[in-house]
Amino acid sequence: MKLLIVMFMLLSSVGILHAHEMTPTYPKLRPSHLDNVYVTTMEMFNKRDDVEFYEIGVFDKDFNPIPFVTSYKVFNLKYLGHVSFDVYIRKDDVSNAEFICSKSKLRKEDTKRTAVNSRICSRIK
Amino acid sequence: MFKNGILRHAVVSAGFALAVSTTWANAEQVPINGTVQSKCIIMTDSAGVYGNPNAYTLSTAAADGGADAIVRIDVTLADAYKAHITAPTEFSSAPSLPDLPTFAGNTEVQTVSDATGMGTYESGKIEQGMTDIYDLTATGSTWFKTSSTVTMGGSKAFPGGNYTAMVTAECIAK
Repeated sequence: MKLLIVMFMLLSSVGILHAHEMTPTYPKLRPSHLDNVYVTTMEMFNKRDDVEFYEIGVFDKDFNPIPFVTSYKVFNLKYLGHVSFDVYIRKDDVSNAEFICSKSKLRKEDTKRTAVNSRICSRIK
Repeated sequence: MFKNGILRHAVVSAGFALAVSTTWANAEQVPINGTVQSKCIIMTDSAGVYGNPNAYTLSTAAADGGADAIVRIDVTLADAYKAHITAPTEFSSAPSLPDLPTFAGNTEVQTVSDATGMGTYESGKIEQGMTDIYDLTATGSTWFKTSSTVTMGGSKAFPGGNYTAMVTAECIAK
């Protein structure tokens, strides 16, 4: 029984080592310090030790890209690193913007024989 | 004399108690703050391995010497997310190929943390080509297993080298 519990804990911890998460689920846009530009703040946590880079994207309901500005479209997020970033969207695009997504970027030399791409999309409300 | 002894004892005890309480009052307290936010977490349990059962096939089936890719998705808010799991449709890196490979794949729910709330995930999934869409209606963990088979056109042999293909796991807020 103890062995089973230890194995379960080990397996659980192995799973937790490779996680990608982004919050909030439903971000809200608010007016920024710039005229006709809205902003929202997102947070990410990288528990994937095989991923160091993530790409941010803003999309409409059909996943067509929407113009946006953030500090870095592709940014480096170390293993177990947190990051908080602002996403700026023009007022004209706010009504079309539906999703803010983060996608893992795997380096070619780091990939194994198969690999998993992860993408999390929050919905703007 | 006796009274003085009692008095001295009382004063010393009170002083000691005061000193101790003063020490407690001065103890540093370090707060640990946390905010729980509803979210979806994508975890890669196993990246998967292609076996090579014959010259013109790559397969993740255990019987072929491979291993399926396993992705775990945790949600902490019920009925807020859909999971899109896409089996590989191309190689992200491979040696120069002699013909066009054909990709086949399938995703299925391997395990759930809540059999009552998640029992219909597999039967209720929507298949769109190589992408399987699951409605994550309950909170908890779901393990998805993705298999992949690649066959080289014209039954030509796969050249020696490393082959990499991607399983894509997406968690999209509803």
